[in-house]
Amino acid sequence: MSRGDVVVIGAGAAGTAAAIVAARAGARTTVVDGGTGASTLWTGAAHATDAVSAEARDVAVLLGVTVARSMLLPTSARPLVAHGHDAAILDLDPLISARAAIAVVGCDRPQWDAELVAKWDGQSLFPLEAAMLRHVDERALPDADFAARHDDPSRLGWLADRLREALARSERKPVALLLPPSLGVERSRAEELSKRVGVPCGEALGLPGGPPGLRFEAARNRALASAGIHTARGRVTRIEPSGGKWRVTLAANGDGGLEADAVVVAAGGLVGGGLEYQSSEWMLAAAMPPYSRAPFRCTIDGPLPLGSRGKPLELPGSLYGMAPESIAWPFASDPLMNRVGVPAASDGRVAQGLYVAGELVADLPRTWLDALESGIRAGVAAAREALSVTSPQSASASAASATRP
Amino acid sequence: MRVAEGPLPVDEYDVAVLGGGVNGTGVARDLSLRGLRVVLFERNDLAFGASGNSSGMIHGGVRYLSQSPKVTETSCRDSGYIQHIAPHLLFRLPFLMPVKSGAQGRIAFELIDAYFRAYDDYQPLKHGEPHCRLDANDLARLEPGLTGSIVGGITFDEWGIDGARLCTLNAIDAIEHGASVYVHTTVEQIARAEGQDDGGRYVVEARDRDTQERVRVRAHVVVNATGAWSPVTAHLGGLPQARVRVRPGKGIHVVLDRRLTNYGILSEAIDGRQIFLEPWQNVSILGTTDDDYYGDLDDVRATSEEVRYLVQGVARVFPSVRTARAIGTYAGVRPTLYAYGPNEDALSREHEIVDHTRDGAPGVYSMIGGKLASYRLFSQELSDQVARDDFGVAAPCTTHTRPLPGGESVPDAMALADKHGITPVAARRLVYRHGQRALHVLERVARRPREREITCVCEPVMEAEVRHVVRHELARTVDDVARRTRLGLGACGGMRCAARCGQIVAQERGLPPHQGQVMARDFVEKQAKTRVVAMGPEQARQEALALAHLDATLGVRP
Repeated sequence: MSRGDVVVIGAGAAGTAAAIVAARAGARTTVVDGGTGASTLWTGAAHATDAVSAEARDVAVLLGVTVARSMLLPTSARPLVAHGHDAAILDLDPLISARAAIAVVGCDRPQWDAELVAKWDGQSLFPLEAAMLRHVDERALPDADFAARHDDPSRLGWLADRLREALARSERKPVALLLPPSLGVERSRAEELSKRVGVPCGEALGLPGGPPGLRFEAARNRALASAGIHTARGRVTRIEPSGGKWRVTLAANGDGGLEADAVVVAAGGLVGGGLEYQSSEWMLAAAMPPYSRAPFRCTIDGPLPLGSRGKPLELPGSLYGMAPESIAWPFASDPLMNRVGVPAASDGRVAQGLYVAGELVADLPRTWLDALESGIRAGVAAAREALSVTSPQSASASAASATRP
Repeated sequence: MRVAEGPLPVDEYDVAVLGGGVNGTGVARDLSLRGLRVVLFERNDLAFGASGNSSGMIHGGVRYLSQSPKVTETSCRDSGYIQHIAPHLLFRLPFLMPVKSGAQGRIAFELIDAYFRAYDDYQPLKHGEPHCRLDANDLARLEPGLTGSIVGGITFDEWGIDGARLCTLNAIDAIEHGASVYVHTTVEQIARAEGQDDGGRYVVEARDRDTQERVRVRAHVVVNATGAWSPVTAHLGGLPQARVRVRPGKGIHVVLDRRLTNYGILSEAIDGRQIFLEPWQNVSILGTTDDDYYGDLDDVRATSEEVRYLVQGVARVFPSVRTARAIGTYAGVRPTLYAYGPNEDALSREHEIVDHTRDGAPGVYSMIGGKLASYRLFSQELSDQVARDDFGVAAPCTTHTRPLPGGESVPDAMALADKHGITPVAARRLVYRHGQRALHVLERVARRPREREITCVCEPVMEAEVRHVVRHELARTVDDVARRTRLGLGACGGMRCAARCGQIVAQERGLPPHQGQVMARDFVEKQAKTRVVAMGPEQARQEALALAHLDATLGVRP
C-alpha cells in the first residue's frame, strides 16, 4: 500500500495553509472545500496573538495578505490596528505617523461617507469628490459586486482617469487615496490603480462578506492549483479509521469518499460550520428531551471529542442543556462559544494521523493569523506522519482507542 | 420647536412630571394643552419601561368584562379616542381563539361565545367588528397552521399600536405646547422650596446621566408617573413608600422574524395562563409572562426559561413557532396595584391616583397602575384634579379630540413613494410611524437626496428619518433611535445598521465619531443579550458573525 496521502477538510485560511505546506513536504494532498466559511466572509483585517512565523508570512503572501503592523480605517471611521491585511486595503500606519495628507475619495454609495471618515483625523484626511460610479445601478450594488467591476482593466483605467482628474482639481495634494471597498475580487487591483494614478491607492476596511473574502477565495484557488493540490467539493460527514488509513466520507457521495494516511480537519468553528450549537433551545417547545446533552457538536462524525481549557465538554445538569446566557457573549467576557473545540496538541494532533486546525481547535484564539499558523503546524506534522513508514496496524489500533466519546 | 436643552438652572414651572412613559407624557401633554407650564424628567428614555415593552395593543380589556365591566367600557371608549387622535399609529389586529374539542370544550365554546357576545356591545366604541363564531373548518381555512383537535373558535377585534411612538408623540405635543422635556435625566431630590413666595412649592433637582449637568426647577405640583420605579421616586421626596406600593410584574415577549399569521392567536401556557402569538408591524410577537420582579428596573431581560414557557405554550396550537426564527426578546415591568395574596394574573389592572396631601406633601401626586389602553383617561383624571384643585384652571381636557403630532391626516404612502423616489415599503413604514409628519422627513430628502439612503434595511429606515428623530424627537443614542423608528429591531439585530446609525447620531449631536461607535456597540450588545436567550443553531452562527462584525466596524476588540 502506498503512503503519503493527506486530506485536508476545509478550504479556509487554516485548511489552505495546511494543504500548501503538506504538498511542499511531498504529500499527495487533497483539499475538501465545503463552501463559504469565516475566511470567505472576512473583512481583510488579520490579527495575531503572537509573533508571526516566517512560514506564515510566506503562505499569507500567496493568499494575498500582507503581514505587517498596520492601521486600517473601517468605513465607520475608527481606526483598527492589525497585524496584517488584505493587499488591497490601505495601510495608514506609515502615512499617519508621517502626518501626510490622505484623500478620502467620496462617492455616492451606501455605508460610505467620505466626509465622516475624513473627520477621524481632520489634519491628515480630507474628502475628495471623484466620479467612481459609471452606471446608475452602481449606487446600490453590494461592495463585492461593485469591486468585481474593477477587475476589468478598461474600467480600472477609467477609474484611474477620474481619480487623476480629481487630484488635478484638488488644492491639497495627497500622498495616498483611500477608497471604499471596491478594488477587484479576482485579485487586488490596488497596486495597478496606484501605478496608473501615481499615488498609492487602497480600500477602507469594509464589513464581513465584502471583496476581501472573494479575493481570498480567488487567491486560494490559484495557490492550490499552482501547488498541484486536488480540490474536492462537498461537506464531510464522517471520518473513521479503516485498514490503517483514514476514510473520509462526503455528503451525497456513495462511492467511498477519500482515503488518507493523515487527515487535517479545518472545517471551521460556528461560522464555518465545523461546529454546531445544539442545545435543546433549538427545539424550543418540543417536549423535554429524554437525556441531557452537551450544547455543541462537531458536524463531522469521528473521533473528535469537544472540550475547552484542557477539559472535555461536560454534560450540563439540565435537561434543557446549558443556559445560553452562561456560554455566549456578551454575558461572558471569554465565552465558551468562543473557546469550545477539539482539544489537541500544539501541532493539532488528536490521534495518529488525525489533526485539527483553525477555529475547530479548542482554546485557539479566533484570529486569522492564528488560524494560519495552526494550519501550517498541522500540515507539516500531517505530511511527516503520512510519509513516514509506520505499521498500518499500530495506526488503526491507536485510532480505534481514540474513537468517539 | 423647543427641544429639551435650554432652560436655566432654576426655571419656574407649574407642574413637574417625573417619568417619560405613557402616563407621564400623557399628563405632560394634557396639562400643556390646558396652558400650564410643564417640565418632564425621564431617567432613561421615553417609553423605556413598561410603555415601550408592552404587547403593543390598546385592547378593550375583554378580560375584565365579568368582574368590572366599567374597566372594559372605559378601555373601549378610550381606544376609540386614541384611534381618532393618532389614526396612523393603529392597525387592526383580529384575534382567533381556538377551543379544544371534547365534552368540556363544547361547553367552554358556548360560554366563550356568550362572553364575547357581551363584549360585542362595547366594540362600536372602539370601531371594532363584532365577534364571529367559527367551526373547525372555518378556523382551518382562516389559519391553516392551527393544530390539535379543535371544536371551533371565535374571532375578536383589537387594535395594535407602537407604544414607544405613542409616548414620543405625547412628549412632542407637550413640547410644542410649551413643555420642557429632559430625557436621560434622573431626579435626585424633591424638596420643599424655601419661603412661600409666588414660586413653586417644590424644588426638583435632576442630573443629566450623560453630561452630568444638573438641572434645578421649581414647580407648584409634582406628578410621580414613574411606573414600576414609583416607590423609588417617592423615596426621593421623603414620602412613605408604602403609600405608592406597586406589585411589579415582569412581562416578556419573544420577537419572531416575520409575520407568521394574519391573526393573533390565543393559547394556554403550561400553567393555564392565556398567552398569544400576534402579528405586529413586520414581526410576530409571543407574549406574555407575568411574574413578580424585584430586580434592577433599568436592566430587565428575558431569560431562556421564560422564552421556553411562551414558545411551548403557543406551539401547542400553532406548532410552527417551534421552527420560527426568534430574533430577540424584550421585557418590561408592569406597575400593578399592590395586593398581597392574589397571583399575578388576578391583580387588578385598574389605576389609582395617590394624593400625597395626607403625607404632608400637598400638590404631590403618584400615578399607580393603569395600562397602555387607558393611559389617556388616566392622564385626564389626574390633569382634571390638578387643574381644578391646584390651579383653579377651568380649561377642559382636549386630549381626546386634538390629534397627536402627525395624526391630523394620514398621507397616501404610495403617492409619496412615487413623488420622492423611495420604495413603497419604506414609504409605508414612514407614514405608519410619522403620519402627516412623514412629509417633514421627506422634505429633508427633497433637500438632500443622499438622505434617502436606507440605514436600516430590515425595517426599513431612511437616513433622513434617523436625523429627524435625533433633531425633533429627543433621540440621543442608537437605542433611542431604535425605540422611535424600530431601526435595528429587525432580523439582523442591528448588525447592519448600528454602526451607521451611531455615525449619524454622533454627527447630528456634534459628538466625536468615537462616541457614535460606543453607542453602536452598546446597542448591538444589548440586542445580543436579548437575542441570546432565544438562540438556536442559526442564531449561534449569527452571534459569531456579530462578533466579527463588531471587530470590523467598531474596532472594539483587538
